Amino acid sequence: MTARLWAIALNTFREAVRIRVLYGFLVLVVGANLLAIVLGVMANNEEARVSRDVGLAGISLFGSLTAIFLGVFLLYTEVQRRTIHVIASKPIERWEFVVGKYLGMGLVLSVLVGVFGLAMIGMLALQDVPVTSAVVKAIVLAWMEVLVVAAIAIFFSSFSTPFLSGIFALALWVIGRLTPDLENAVRTGAGSIRAVAKVTLAVVPDLHLFAVSGRAVEGDVVSVHADFVSWGYVGLASLHGLAWIVGLLAFAAILFSRRDFA
Amino acid sequence: MYRLTLVADLALAVRDLRKSFRTPFARKKIEALRGVTFEVQKGHIFGFVGPNGAGKTTTIRTLMGLIKPTSGSATILGRTVPSRAARERVGFLPESPYFYDYLTVPELLDLVGRLFGIPGPERKKRADELIERVGLSRARTQNLKKFSKGMLQRAGLAQALMNDPELVVLDEPMSGLDPIGRKEVRDLILSLRDAGKTVFFSTHILSDVEAITDRVAIIARGQLQASGTPAELVAQSVQAVDITIRLTGEAGDLTAGADQVRRHEDELSLSLPASADVDAWLAKAHAAGAKVISVAPRHETLEARFLREVASAEAVP
Repeated sequence: MTARLWAIALNTFREAVRIRVLYGFLVLVVGANLLAIVLGVMANNEEARVSRDVGLAGISLFGSLTAIFLGVFLLYTEVQRRTIHVIASKPIERWEFVVGKYLGMGLVLSVLVGVFGLAMIGMLALQDVPVTSAVVKAIVLAWMEVLVVAAIAIFFSSFSTPFLSGIFALALWVIGRLTPDLENAVRTGAGSIRAVAKVTLAVVPDLHLFAVSGRAVEGDVVSVHADFVSWGYVGLASLHGLAWIVGLLAFAAILFSRRDFA
Repeated sequence: MYRLTLVADLALAVRDLRKSFRTPFARKKIEALRGVTFEVQKGHIFGFVGPNGAGKTTTIRTLMGLIKPTSGSATILGRTVPSRAARERVGFLPESPYFYDYLTVPELLDLVGRLFGIPGPERKKRADELIERVGLSRARTQNLKKFSKGMLQRAGLAQALMNDPELVVLDEPMSGLDPIGRKEVRDLILSLRDAGKTVFFSTHILSDVEAITDRVAIIARGQLQASGTPAELVAQSVQAVDITIRLTGEAGDLTAGADQVRRHEDELSLSLPASADVDAWLAKAHAAGAKVISVAPRHETLEARFLREVASAEAVP
């Protein structure tokens, strides 16, 4: 099983690194970091704050967009281009194929987030801004968010077109970032709003867990510039993300297994 | 005639296979397979022929687990379809194969070898042998993107043989090949049978079927119309009897009721209808002093049988 998963993952990695859009995202992230330097100079004595905020936002935004882009296309094109006929006729289970595709994507996204992170750290170093453990934790959380978003995209791609999958995944990513507002709506909203917010909270992954800087965590406001979350929090948030990834991939595998490749 | 075939001797057994699709918007039901039943014995070359849309590819994709049948069942080498176990001992070439165009042939074969769990050194050795065998040695370093259709077909054949399969399923293997390429594929199929493999292939090219198959099945409109050895399929209907004689005098009434009468000096060639009393005609020719040179029954060609079966299937509402 491991050999088959690795074979699909490796092939997906090979496929993904040939997609030029990825390099466009890379340029955008480097551009965002350069912009952070300019903004930092403009904001008096706030170079460190601006650089960290823009850098992390760049990783989260462009990492998630890349995850959606890869997730909605890589599985769909296998069916559309009929390359699936060669693979699915071999002794591989459909779920292994879906998981292998995800692992390959995860590998590409991990490399990308790594490069994004290094670009950010490089920019911070250029401005003599120290790279604290808070920054590293924030990068790890952003990486986990990207991996969850990739699983969301693969899930939709297992039964839908890239266009619709892209819209659904993007919507879920935005809603997933708004969980504190949804929780607030459950507490204070009117009947129907409360019901909708409750259902949404149950079916949407809590992506806000991965972008907590400037927000309250268990009553205390945490910030990547001062007191940030502990490694314990990072571990728990990652487990939460992992649970969503497993769940989403399980549903994707079930849906993909039911499909005919005519 | 009854044939007794042990299940253990079967490479492929298909029972009442049915598949219906719904059109995307109108939700109209289309019956692609309407109760297909046949068997392929181990060690045979089995030709699966039919016009476009007959159900050949749907049958093959169902066997390979790409499509789920609406009803019916199938086994490959005694293993239920669809299953991973069934696919383990099969090599498959899809119709107009699509591969990852950024790979080279060795990379493609490496990927396929990994899916079959073939260990690294053996994978490389086998890939090298197959690349040589299908004549792609000079294109080893080229991406599949740059391959012609014929080259892609060869790459497809190589990947279908990567696991040294017991059963090889080829969907239109001669498609896109020039006459030399077709001959090479025919030779490859024959060499697979010589090596004890079973080959099941679909095609439109009836001359290939006649040349290499042990058994043939004709499918049209999702149903099997006929099956048997090529000889059985054509022997069932003698169309005419072609006779050539050497005359010593005039032909007289020997040409009465005959068709395609040709005379060249003292040689007379003609065709008698299948219903004619050939013995009586020959006795009359002897009595007229003629010497018989040849008497040959003319059978229906496989192509004619194929066209007849397809036309009869199409005639059913």
